[in-house]
Amino acid sequence: MVQSMAAAIATDLLLEREALLETLAASFGAARRGSGRLALVSGEAGAGKTSLVRRFCEELPRGTTVLPGACDPLITPRPLGPFLEIGERSDPPIVGASAHDVAGQLLALAREPVVLVVEDVHWADEATLDVVRLLGRRVSSTCGLVIVTYRDDELARDHSLRICLGDLATTEAVDRLHVEPLTAEGVRELAAGRDIDPIALFELTSGNPFYVTEILAGGNGVVPDTVRDIVLARVGQLSPPAAAVVEAASIAPPSLDAPLLLAVCGEAADSVDECLASGVVRAVDGAVGFRHELARTAVEESLSPARRLALHRAVLLGLADESRGLDLARLAFHAEAADDEPAVLRFAPAAAEQAARAGSYREAAAQYDRALRFAGNLGPGERAQLLEGRSRACYLADDQLEAIAVIREAIRYRQQQGAPLQEARALTELADYLSCRGFLQESDETVQRASRLVSGHPEQREHAYVLEAAGRFRSDGDQAARIELAARALAIGERFGDEHVAGHARVTIGTATALGDLDAGLPLLEEAAQVAHRSDQPEVVARALNNMGYVCASRYRHELADAYYDAGLKHCAEHTSDLWRINILAMSALSLLAQARFDDAARQAVAILDDPRESPWPHHTALVVLGLVRARRGDPGAREALAETTTVDLQPEEFDAIVDRAAAHAEISWLEGRPEEVAVATEATVQAALERGDAAAIARLAFWRRLAETETDGHPGGESPYVLALAGNWGDAADEWARRGQTYEAALALSRTGDVRAVRRAHAELLRLGARPLAAMVARELREKGVRDVPRGPRAATRANEAELTRRELEVLGLVAEGMRNADIAERLFLSPRTVDHHVSAIRRKLGARTRGEAVAAAGRLGLLEDR
Amino acid sequence: METYLILRRGGWRSAEDLAAAAERSTSEGERMPNDIAWIRSYVLGELDGTVGTVCIYQASSPEAIRRHASAAGLPVDEIVRVADTVLVRPDPIATLA
Repeated sequence: MVQSMAAAIATDLLLEREALLETLAASFGAARRGSGRLALVSGEAGAGKTSLVRRFCEELPRGTTVLPGACDPLITPRPLGPFLEIGERSDPPIVGASAHDVAGQLLALAREPVVLVVEDVHWADEATLDVVRLLGRRVSSTCGLVIVTYRDDELARDHSLRICLGDLATTEAVDRLHVEPLTAEGVRELAAGRDIDPIALFELTSGNPFYVTEILAGGNGVVPDTVRDIVLARVGQLSPPAAAVVEAASIAPPSLDAPLLLAVCGEAADSVDECLASGVVRAVDGAVGFRHELARTAVEESLSPARRLALHRAVLLGLADESRGLDLARLAFHAEAADDEPAVLRFAPAAAEQAARAGSYREAAAQYDRALRFAGNLGPGERAQLLEGRSRACYLADDQLEAIAVIREAIRYRQQQGAPLQEARALTELADYLSCRGFLQESDETVQRASRLVSGHPEQREHAYVLEAAGRFRSDGDQAARIELAARALAIGERFGDEHVAGHARVTIGTATALGDLDAGLPLLEEAAQVAHRSDQPEVVARALNNMGYVCASRYRHELADAYYDAGLKHCAEHTSDLWRINILAMSALSLLAQARFDDAARQAVAILDDPRESPWPHHTALVVLGLVRARRGDPGAREALAETTTVDLQPEEFDAIVDRAAAHAEISWLEGRPEEVAVATEATVQAALERGDAAAIARLAFWRRLAETETDGHPGGESPYVLALAGNWGDAADEWARRGQTYEAALALSRTGDVRAVRRAHAELLRLGARPLAAMVARELREKGVRDVPRGPRAATRANEAELTRRELEVLGLVAEGMRNADIAERLFLSPRTVDHHVSAIRRKLGARTRGEAVAAAGRLGLLEDR
Repeated sequence: METYLILRRGGWRSAEDLAAAAERSTSEGERMPNDIAWIRSYVLGELDGTVGTVCIYQASSPEAIRRHASAAGLPVDEIVRVADTVLVRPDPIATLA
């Protein structure tokens, strides 16, 4: 009777949910027609997200495939948990341990109409969120509807779910649904005919459907003080054996299956029907679990410590039964709660390895930490091993400072153990982390320490790791030495069949070669990337693409660099390598800025700043790029962006970045008409450059100081256009910059040549680039020279062509010419379909064309599509 | 969000072109509600017979303004941050939007 009442309430509860149900139905309609969707369903705890989704699935046409999965409320959830659940029910079953594999198989499933439900992703492990990101990006070309539910009331700013949601923000195929609490009117309707004050009920519950149903199902007409009281009152009405079942279920989320129930509760398991009839718990696929997490925690918290310990021990015993598959994350959780040292040391490291393999590094780090809490009786070698695992997981989860601290501890234990080879291996890890954070000198010293340790063991695998690190991190510019070290690492690595070390060694060889001779090095890097791709080393592929872009950009082959950066970003998105992604974004931003592609450079910079990962160099670079883009276009906020660089924890050893910042500071001051600030802004960095003998840096800074009429001691050197300009060869400097594709700097140099025709050319170029402040300075000089007809504004920019199509319209026209439909164009350009319709009709009007075909033909005649 | 003034001098050939642009501006603005809010615009009758605007927006950054402009196909000549507002009289009666 109570249960049917709960069911009746559950039905009523959907009374304010029609609009949401309709949205989901429309999304599934689109999915069935081949435009798959991802629906994000958010709401506070108890808002009724699960009820909504369940109702939607019940109303689907008969025969529709629905595959549900849910995340578990464990601190260290099972990696890919919800997809393992889905995979058990799907046909064919999902196999594979990485986010990339799992997403691929789910998308393949969605060639037929299917509804995938992933519940409670606020508890999800990183790998699960990676799968959600990949689904969001690619679902639109399938027949799948993916429904993802989460609590939005308590997400911290750095919660991985936020990163995931941010990633999905620009995706067209995503619908967002928010489940609101009930209105006062809704609560009144539900309470109608009950002996309960609807206003008091609404005030206590704020319309939260879970609270409302719990109170109504309690049925005694009293509005209790807290949820805890409501839930416990209901449990109190059960017989002792039934209460025991409920208590057992409360410490073993998500649910107790039949064998586990029997193992934990013994004969009391017979009262399970009474529990179900009470409505406190429910059965799903024969397993008993709470109707809601809020109720579960209320019961769990009411148990005495001794009772909890006893229950955890019983659950641990039941879960460890050899006849069932071992759920490592769950076992590790109960092992710790049961205070069972051998069990923790058995299950937690295994769970950590499993999580790391799946890409859930945060969870892996937490599992290692759990094992380390019980490591008091372990020897130094075993302890070091746990620390090494934890440090790697922290590093990959973007907690680099913790990674550094932990690996240092591991190194101390390796010394204590007297294991020089393992110590050397740990030192190479430390060198990697140090270099990533910009501690370059210490990284160098660390590699040297490692080299001394392995010097007596030339044929060991560890020797390959040390040689590889030595080649990769060597920073004195001796490329031949790098190649030699990496070649030796490659030989040993190949002998051991170690594709990780061999792959990195190949990338180092290719990079070092390319820095001397681009055409010789690029094919080596291409090959290194292909081999790494075949041997499933995505991190090596990412580094290869990163370096290909870098070596091309350093030789001013910017278009080629951009292509490699794009490929790199695509690869990182596919394999969710966020650390490499943010690095490539920064290098790409620099390359785009060099080409005066201000919009594109700003887009990359903003993408970096939106990423909560703390990597200092990319963040610093993003702020410098943003400051320069703003200053060169005359937009506000250049100084603010630059000032923010001081909040980034950049090491003084990252000297190139320090020079970038000083040069940007000088340029911004000069452009904003405050040349007197340039000397102060650059003084310290000039001194540091003199001490380091960095002639290129001196030339660059001296250049800006010269523009601000401050001279610089020391000898600027190298063959850079800065040196040419400092010597007064402005024409040669302009040519050299133009050859390097740096159109903005070329125009600046040209404007200083004193030749009126050249200066006018520079002015026109600056207007075209949208470089308003410098264009205005040049225009003023021209007028002072008596030139009369200087164009005033960049209005020509929108009149780039005879038919007066805007840049955006040209872009749309190009895609129309490729035969794309408006909907596809909208998706490609991140526009709304309506805007694209507008653009297309504007294009037709301006070209006097009745159809798209005529527009394309007219564009061809006018030569509009040639230099896009 | 800060307040910005955006100059779009001579961006359109006619009032009709501008009206179509205003519609695009609205629909693109709705797609980035956390980054941009169009407050008001003054339409300029340019000397060469074209139409321009001075627009007041609230935006999260200058980049957001440019991203919106590029998506909606609006020209941008200059973006200036508004430091303060001095209201003297209400605006004359609006016809657009």
